[in-house]
Amino acid sequence: MKVGAVKLGVAPPAANRGIAILDFFLRLIAITGTLAGAIAMATTNQTLPFFSRFVRFRAKFNDLPSLAFFVVASSIVSAYLILSLALSVLHIVKANAVNSRVLLLLLDTAAMGLLMAGSSAAAAIVQLAHEGINKVNWFAICQQYNSFCKRVSGSLIGSYAGVLVLILLILLSGVALSRR
Amino acid sequence: MDPASTTINVTETPKERKGKAPLLSAPPASSGIKQMFQKGPKTGYKRGLAVFDVVLRLAGIATALGATIAMGSTDQTLPFFTQFFQFKAEFDDLPAFTFFVIANAITAAYLALTIPISIVCIIRPHLVAPRILLIFLDTVMVALTTAAAGGAASIVYLAHNGNGDANWPAICQQFNDFCQKVSGAVVASFLTVVVLMVLVVLSAFAL
Repeated sequence: MKVGAVKLGVAPPAANRGIAILDFFLRLIAITGTLAGAIAMATTNQTLPFFSRFVRFRAKFNDLPSLAFFVVASSIVSAYLILSLALSVLHIVKANAVNSRVLLLLLDTAAMGLLMAGSSAAAAIVQLAHEGINKVNWFAICQQYNSFCKRVSGSLIGSYAGVLVLILLILLSGVALSRR
Repeated sequence: MDPASTTINVTETPKERKGKAPLLSAPPASSGIKQMFQKGPKTGYKRGLAVFDVVLRLAGIATALGATIAMGSTDQTLPFFTQFFQFKAEFDDLPAFTFFVIANAITAAYLALTIPISIVCIIRPHLVAPRILLIFLDTVMVALTTAAAGGAASIVYLAHNGNGDANWPAICQQFNDFCQKVSGAVVASFLTVVVLMVLVVLSAFAL
Protein backbone atom coordinates (compact mmCIF):
# COMPACT_ATOMS: atom_id res chain seq x y z
CA MET A 1 0.00 0.00 0.00
CA LYS A 2 1.37 3.39 -0.91
CA VAL A 3 2.15 5.57 2.09
CA GLY A 4 0.54 8.56 0.42
CA ALA A 5 -2.76 6.81 -0.23
CA VAL A 6 -4.24 7.63 3.17
CA LYS A 7 -4.27 11.28 4.15
CA LEU A 8 -3.47 11.85 7.79
CA GLY A 9 -5.05 14.73 9.55
CA VAL A 10 -7.96 16.91 8.43
CA ALA A 11 -7.99 19.14 5.33
CA PRO A 12 -9.14 22.61 6.49
CA PRO A 13 -12.01 23.78 4.32
CA ALA A 14 -13.57 25.28 7.45
CA ALA A 15 -10.64 27.68 7.92
CA ASN A 16 -10.75 28.62 4.25
CA ARG A 17 -14.42 29.45 4.58
CA GLY A 18 -13.62 31.69 7.56
CA ILE A 19 -10.96 33.42 5.49
CA ALA A 20 -13.46 33.91 2.66
CA ILE A 21 -16.02 35.48 5.01
CA LEU A 22 -13.39 37.83 6.41
CA ASP A 23 -12.39 38.63 2.80
CA PHE A 24 -16.01 39.60 2.03
CA PHE A 25 -16.28 41.97 4.99
CA LEU A 26 -12.91 43.57 4.27
CA ARG A 27 -14.02 44.15 0.71
CA LEU A 28 -17.10 46.01 1.99
CA ILE A 29 -14.87 48.25 4.11
CA ALA A 30 -12.60 48.92 1.13
CA ILE A 31 -15.59 49.85 -1.04
CA THR A 32 -16.75 52.36 1.58
CA GLY A 33 -13.34 54.02 1.90
CA THR A 34 -12.60 54.21 -1.81
CA LEU A 35 -16.05 55.40 -2.82
CA ALA A 36 -16.10 58.02 -0.05
CA GLY A 37 -12.73 59.34 -1.23
CA ALA A 38 -13.83 59.54 -4.85
CA ILE A 39 -17.09 61.32 -4.02
CA ALA A 40 -15.50 63.74 -1.57
CA MET A 41 -12.91 64.76 -4.15
CA ALA A 42 -15.38 65.00 -7.02
CA THR A 43 -17.73 67.32 -5.17
CA THR A 44 -15.13 69.97 -4.36
CA ASN A 45 -16.17 73.43 -5.43
CA GLN A 46 -15.03 76.52 -3.62
CA THR A 47 -15.63 80.01 -4.94
CA LEU A 48 -13.88 82.89 -3.21
CA PRO A 49 -16.12 85.80 -2.23
CA PHE A 50 -14.10 88.42 -4.11
CA PHE A 51 -13.54 88.66 -7.83
CA SER A 52 -12.00 90.97 -10.35
CA ARG A 53 -13.78 92.15 -13.48
CA PHE A 54 -12.48 89.33 -15.70
CA VAL A 55 -11.63 86.47 -13.39
CA ARG A 56 -13.70 84.49 -10.88
CA PHE A 57 -11.60 82.74 -8.25
CA ARG A 58 -12.88 79.18 -8.10
CA ALA A 59 -11.25 75.87 -7.18
CA LYS A 60 -12.53 72.52 -8.42
CA PHE A 61 -10.88 69.14 -8.58
CA ASN A 62 -10.51 69.19 -12.36
CA ASP A 63 -8.43 72.35 -12.27
CA LEU A 64 -5.55 70.11 -11.20
CA PRO A 65 -4.95 67.07 -13.47
CA SER A 66 -3.53 64.91 -10.66
CA LEU A 67 -6.75 65.28 -8.68
CA ALA A 68 -8.79 64.40 -11.77
CA PHE A 69 -6.64 61.26 -12.19
CA PHE A 70 -7.30 60.45 -8.53
CA VAL A 71 -11.07 60.67 -9.01
CA VAL A 72 -10.94 58.43 -12.09
CA ALA A 73 -8.63 55.86 -10.46
CA SER A 74 -10.69 55.71 -7.24
CA SER A 75 -13.90 55.25 -9.20
CA ILE A 76 -12.42 52.42 -11.28
CA VAL A 77 -11.12 50.66 -8.17
CA SER A 78 -14.42 50.99 -6.29
CA ALA A 79 -16.31 49.62 -9.31
CA TYR A 80 -13.86 46.70 -9.46
CA LEU A 81 -14.28 46.03 -5.72
CA ILE A 82 -18.07 45.99 -6.04
CA LEU A 83 -17.82 43.50 -8.92
CA SER A 84 -15.33 41.33 -7.04
CA LEU A 85 -17.83 40.85 -4.23
CA ALA A 86 -19.34 38.18 -6.49
CA LEU A 87 -16.03 36.26 -6.62
CA SER A 88 -15.76 36.63 -2.86
CA VAL A 89 -19.20 35.07 -2.36
CA LEU A 90 -18.14 32.24 -4.69
CA HIS A 91 -15.17 31.56 -2.42
CA ILE A 92 -17.43 31.39 0.63
CA VAL A 93 -19.62 28.84 -1.11
CA LYS A 94 -16.86 26.78 -2.71
CA ALA A 95 -14.01 26.90 -0.23
CA ASN A 96 -11.41 24.97 -2.22
CA ALA A 97 -11.47 26.98 -5.46
CA VAL A 98 -7.92 27.61 -6.67
CA ASN A 99 -7.97 29.28 -10.07
CA SER A 100 -10.48 31.93 -9.08
CA ARG A 101 -8.46 32.76 -5.96
CA VAL A 102 -5.32 33.27 -8.05
CA LEU A 103 -7.30 35.47 -10.45
CA LEU A 104 -8.67 37.48 -7.52
CA LEU A 105 -5.16 37.94 -6.12
CA LEU A 106 -3.90 39.15 -9.50
CA LEU A 107 -6.74 41.65 -9.92
CA ASP A 108 -6.39 42.86 -6.32
CA THR A 109 -2.71 43.59 -6.89
CA ALA A 110 -3.47 45.60 -10.02
CA ALA A 111 -6.26 47.50 -8.23
CA MET A 112 -3.98 48.29 -5.30
CA GLY A 113 -1.31 49.62 -7.65
CA LEU A 114 -3.80 51.85 -9.47
CA LEU A 115 -5.37 53.18 -6.26
CA MET A 116 -1.98 53.86 -4.69
CA ALA A 117 -0.77 55.68 -7.81
CA GLY A 118 -3.83 57.94 -7.79
CA SER A 119 -3.63 58.58 -4.05
CA SER A 120 0.06 59.44 -4.12
CA ALA A 121 -0.33 61.76 -7.11
CA ALA A 122 -3.12 63.61 -5.28
CA ALA A 123 -1.10 63.62 -2.05
CA ALA A 124 1.90 65.21 -3.77
CA ILE A 125 -0.29 67.99 -5.15
CA VAL A 126 -2.04 68.49 -1.80
CA GLN A 127 1.32 68.78 -0.04
CA LEU A 128 2.39 71.31 -2.65
CA ALA A 129 -0.82 73.28 -2.20
CA HIS A 130 -0.33 73.37 1.55
CA GLU A 131 3.30 74.41 1.58
CA GLY A 132 4.36 75.54 -1.86
CA ILE A 133 7.93 75.80 -3.14
CA ASN A 134 8.96 79.41 -3.22
CA LYS A 135 12.20 78.70 -5.01
CA VAL A 136 10.41 77.82 -8.25
CA ASN A 137 7.60 80.34 -7.75
CA TRP A 138 5.00 77.77 -6.80
CA PHE A 139 3.05 79.45 -4.03
CA ALA A 140 0.82 77.74 -1.48
CA ILE A 141 -2.84 78.15 -2.37
CA CYS A 142 -4.36 76.69 0.78
CA GLN A 143 -4.45 79.90 2.73
CA GLN A 144 -6.99 81.23 0.24
CA TYR A 145 -8.84 78.05 -0.73
CA ASN A 146 -9.21 76.76 2.80
CA SER A 147 -12.27 74.52 2.60
CA PHE A 148 -11.15 73.10 -0.78
CA CYS A 149 -7.86 72.02 0.77
CA LYS A 150 -9.52 70.47 3.81
CA ARG A 151 -11.94 68.47 1.68
CA VAL A 152 -9.24 67.21 -0.62
CA SER A 153 -7.01 66.15 2.30
CA GLY A 154 -9.92 64.31 3.94
CA SER A 155 -10.73 62.35 0.79
CA LEU A 156 -7.17 61.06 0.67
CA ILE A 157 -7.62 59.40 4.07
CA GLY A 158 -10.43 57.23 2.69
CA SER A 159 -8.41 56.04 -0.27
CA TYR A 160 -5.31 55.25 1.80
CA ALA A 161 -7.53 53.14 4.06
CA GLY A 162 -8.70 51.36 0.89
CA VAL A 163 -5.07 50.64 -0.03
CA LEU A 164 -4.38 49.15 3.41
CA VAL A 165 -7.44 46.92 3.18
CA LEU A 166 -6.42 45.76 -0.31
CA ILE A 167 -2.99 44.75 1.03
CA LEU A 168 -4.75 42.71 3.74
CA LEU A 169 -6.99 41.12 1.10
CA ILE A 170 -3.96 40.06 -0.93
CA LEU A 171 -2.39 38.51 2.16
CA LEU A 172 -5.64 36.67 2.94
CA SER A 173 -5.84 35.25 -0.58
CA GLY A 174 -2.23 34.07 -0.28
CA VAL A 175 -2.91 32.36 3.04
CA ALA A 176 -6.05 30.68 1.66
CA LEU A 177 -4.11 29.46 -1.39
CA SER A 178 -1.44 27.92 0.83
CA ARG A 179 -3.96 25.90 2.78
CA ARG A 180 -5.21 23.55 0.14
CA MET B 1 -9.48 -21.58 29.73
CA ASP B 2 -8.80 -23.55 26.54
CA PRO B 3 -4.95 -23.98 26.26
CA ALA B 4 -5.17 -23.77 22.42
CA SER B 5 -6.59 -20.25 22.47
CA THR B 6 -4.80 -17.06 23.46
CA THR B 7 -6.25 -13.98 25.02
CA ILE B 8 -4.90 -10.70 23.74
CA ASN B 9 -5.66 -7.67 25.80
CA VAL B 10 -6.09 -4.53 23.77
CA THR B 11 -6.23 -1.50 25.99
CA GLU B 12 -8.16 1.50 24.83
CA THR B 13 -6.05 4.65 24.67
CA PRO B 14 -7.71 7.93 25.64
CA LYS B 15 -7.51 9.05 22.00
CA GLU B 16 -9.46 6.00 20.89
CA ARG B 17 -12.10 6.70 23.52
CA LYS B 18 -12.53 10.18 22.08
CA GLY B 19 -12.50 8.88 18.50
CA LYS B 20 -9.36 10.79 17.53
CA ALA B 21 -6.89 7.93 17.04
CA PRO B 22 -5.20 7.88 13.61
CA LEU B 23 -5.85 4.98 11.27
CA LEU B 24 -2.14 4.45 10.62
CA SER B 25 0.76 5.32 12.84
CA ALA B 26 3.07 8.09 11.79
CA PRO B 27 5.68 7.05 9.17
CA PRO B 28 9.16 6.33 10.54
CA ALA B 29 11.69 9.16 10.64
CA SER B 30 13.96 7.64 8.00
CA SER B 31 11.36 8.15 5.25
CA GLY B 32 11.74 11.92 5.74
CA ILE B 33 15.21 11.78 4.21
CA LYS B 34 13.80 9.79 1.28
CA GLN B 35 11.15 12.45 0.71
CA MET B 36 13.81 15.16 0.52
CA PHE B 37 15.48 13.58 -2.51
CA GLN B 38 12.40 12.32 -4.28
CA LYS B 39 10.88 15.17 -6.27
CA GLY B 40 7.10 15.03 -6.12
CA PRO B 41 5.12 15.29 -9.34
CA LYS B 42 4.27 18.96 -8.76
CA THR B 43 7.50 20.57 -7.52
CA GLY B 44 9.11 20.89 -10.98
CA TYR B 45 7.26 24.02 -12.01
CA LYS B 46 7.55 25.53 -8.53
CA ARG B 47 11.34 25.31 -8.74
CA GLY B 48 11.25 26.98 -12.19
CA LEU B 49 9.07 29.77 -10.84
CA ALA B 50 11.47 30.29 -7.92
CA VAL B 51 14.43 30.60 -10.31
CA PHE B 52 12.53 33.17 -12.35
CA ASP B 53 11.74 34.93 -9.07
CA VAL B 54 15.46 35.35 -8.27
CA VAL B 55 16.17 36.64 -11.78
CA LEU B 56 13.35 39.18 -11.51
CA ARG B 57 14.62 40.32 -8.13
CA LEU B 58 18.02 41.08 -9.64
CA ALA B 59 16.35 43.04 -12.44
CA GLY B 60 14.30 44.94 -9.85
CA ILE B 61 17.44 45.89 -7.93
CA ALA B 62 18.89 47.32 -11.14
CA THR B 63 15.84 49.46 -11.93
CA ALA B 64 15.34 50.68 -8.35
CA LEU B 65 19.00 51.60 -7.99
CA GLY B 66 18.89 53.32 -11.36
CA ALA B 67 15.91 55.40 -10.28
CA THR B 68 17.55 56.35 -6.98
CA ILE B 69 20.84 57.36 -8.52
CA ALA B 70 19.26 59.23 -11.42
CA MET B 71 17.11 61.29 -9.07
CA GLY B 72 19.74 61.68 -6.38
CA SER B 73 22.40 63.04 -8.69
CA THR B 74 20.32 65.89 -10.11
CA ASP B 75 22.00 69.24 -9.79
CA GLN B 76 21.56 71.85 -12.44
CA THR B 77 22.76 75.41 -12.10
CA LEU B 78 21.62 77.89 -14.69
CA PRO B 79 24.35 80.01 -16.27
CA PHE B 80 22.74 83.32 -15.34
CA PHE B 81 22.18 84.78 -11.91
CA THR B 82 21.01 87.96 -10.28
CA GLN B 83 22.85 89.88 -7.61
CA PHE B 84 21.30 87.96 -4.75
CA PHE B 85 20.11 84.68 -6.16
CA GLN B 86 21.60 81.87 -8.21
CA PHE B 87 19.18 79.62 -10.05
CA LYS B 88 19.88 76.05 -9.00
CA ALA B 89 17.64 73.00 -9.03
CA GLU B 90 18.29 69.92 -6.88
CA PHE B 91 16.14 67.00 -5.92
CA ASP B 92 15.87 68.05 -2.29
CA ASP B 93 14.18 71.31 -3.20
CA LEU B 94 11.03 69.30 -3.77
CA PRO B 95 9.83 67.07 -0.89
CA ALA B 96 8.17 64.61 -3.28
CA PHE B 97 11.55 63.94 -4.90
CA THR B 98 13.25 63.46 -1.53
CA PHE B 99 10.62 60.86 -0.64
CA PHE B 100 11.18 59.28 -4.06
CA VAL B 101 14.92 58.84 -3.47
CA ILE B 102 14.40 57.38 0.00
CA ALA B 103 11.61 55.00 -1.06
CA ASN B 104 13.48 53.65 -4.08
CA ALA B 105 16.60 53.13 -1.98
CA ILE B 106 14.51 51.14 0.51
CA THR B 107 13.06 49.05 -2.34
CA ALA B 108 16.50 48.27 -3.77
CA ALA B 109 17.78 47.25 -0.33
CA TYR B 110 14.67 45.12 0.29
CA LEU B 111 15.06 43.28 -3.04
CA ALA B 112 18.69 42.56 -2.26
CA LEU B 113 17.84 41.26 1.23
CA THR B 114 15.08 38.93 0.02
CA ILE B 115 17.27 37.14 -2.52
CA PRO B 116 18.30 34.57 0.18
CA ILE B 117 14.62 33.83 0.90
CA SER B 118 14.05 33.24 -2.83
CA ILE B 119 17.02 30.90 -2.92
CA VAL B 120 15.47 28.96 -0.04
CA CYS B 121 12.34 28.65 -2.20
CA ILE B 122 14.46 27.16 -5.01
CA ILE B 123 16.09 24.61 -2.75
CA ARG B 124 12.89 23.61 -0.94
CA PRO B 125 10.03 24.17 -3.38
CA HIS B 126 7.37 22.56 -1.20
CA LEU B 127 7.79 25.02 1.68
CA VAL B 128 4.91 27.45 2.05
CA ALA B 129 6.04 29.87 4.79
CA PRO B 130 8.79 31.70 2.80
CA ARG B 131 6.43 32.17 -0.11
CA ILE B 132 3.73 33.70 2.07
CA LEU B 133 6.30 36.00 3.65
CA LEU B 134 7.52 37.03 0.21
CA ILE B 135 4.02 37.67 -1.13
CA PHE B 136 3.18 39.90 1.85
CA LEU B 137 6.43 41.88 1.79
CA ASP B 138 6.32 42.24 -2.01
CA THR B 139 2.80 43.64 -1.79
CA VAL B 140 3.88 46.22 0.80
CA MET B 141 6.81 47.15 -1.42
CA VAL B 142 4.51 47.56 -4.44
CA ALA B 143 2.51 50.05 -2.37
CA LEU B 144 5.62 51.98 -1.26
CA THR B 145 7.22 52.14 -4.71
CA THR B 146 3.95 53.13 -6.38
CA ALA B 147 3.51 55.89 -3.82
CA ALA B 148 6.97 57.27 -4.57
CA ALA B 149 6.60 56.92 -8.34
CA GLY B 150 3.11 58.41 -8.43
CA GLY B 151 4.02 61.40 -6.29
CA ALA B 152 7.13 62.18 -8.31
CA ALA B 153 5.24 61.70 -11.59
CA SER B 154 2.62 64.19 -10.47
CA ILE B 155 5.28 66.81 -9.67
CA VAL B 156 7.14 66.12 -12.93
CA TYR B 157 3.92 66.60 -14.90
CA LEU B 158 3.41 69.88 -13.13
CA ALA B 159 6.97 70.94 -13.88
CA HIS B 160 6.50 70.17 -17.56
CA ASN B 161 3.11 71.79 -17.97
CA GLY B 162 2.55 74.19 -15.09
CA ASN B 163 -0.93 75.07 -13.91
CA GLY B 164 -2.66 78.27 -14.91
CA ASP B 165 -5.41 78.06 -12.30
CA ALA B 166 -3.03 77.83 -9.34
CA ASN B 167 -0.51 80.20 -10.91
CA TRP B 168 2.28 77.64 -10.95
CA PRO B 169 4.65 78.22 -13.89
CA ALA B 170 6.23 75.36 -15.86
CA ILE B 171 9.91 75.24 -14.93
CA CYS B 172 11.12 72.68 -17.46
CA GLN B 173 11.85 75.19 -20.18
CA GLN B 174 14.58 76.66 -17.99
CA PHE B 175 15.79 73.61 -16.08
CA ASN B 176 15.97 71.29 -19.06
CA ASP B 177 18.60 68.76 -17.92
CA PHE B 178 17.06 68.52 -14.48
CA CYS B 179 13.66 67.70 -15.96
CA GLN B 180 15.03 65.04 -18.30
CA LYS B 181 16.93 63.25 -15.54
CA VAL B 182 13.98 63.38 -13.20
CA SER B 183 11.56 62.05 -15.83
CA GLY B 184 13.93 59.15 -16.54
CA ALA B 185 14.06 58.33 -12.84
CA VAL B 186 10.25 58.21 -12.65
CA VAL B 187 10.12 55.80 -15.61
CA ALA B 188 12.67 53.50 -13.93
CA SER B 189 10.61 53.55 -10.76
CA PHE B 190 7.46 52.50 -12.61
CA LEU B 191 9.44 49.63 -14.15
CA THR B 192 10.33 48.56 -10.60
CA VAL B 193 6.63 48.59 -9.73
CA VAL B 194 5.89 46.28 -12.68
CA VAL B 195 8.70 43.92 -11.62
CA LEU B 196 7.35 43.77 -8.06
CA MET B 197 3.81 43.08 -9.28
CA VAL B 198 5.05 40.19 -11.44
CA LEU B 199 6.87 38.85 -8.36
CA VAL B 200 3.60 38.89 -6.38
CA VAL B 201 1.77 37.02 -9.16
CA LEU B 202 4.63 34.50 -9.39
CA SER B 203 4.37 33.76 -5.68
CA ALA B 204 0.61 33.34 -6.06
CA PHE B 205 1.06 30.75 -8.82
CA ALA B 206 3.70 28.92 -6.82
CA LEU B 207 1.62 28.70 -3.66
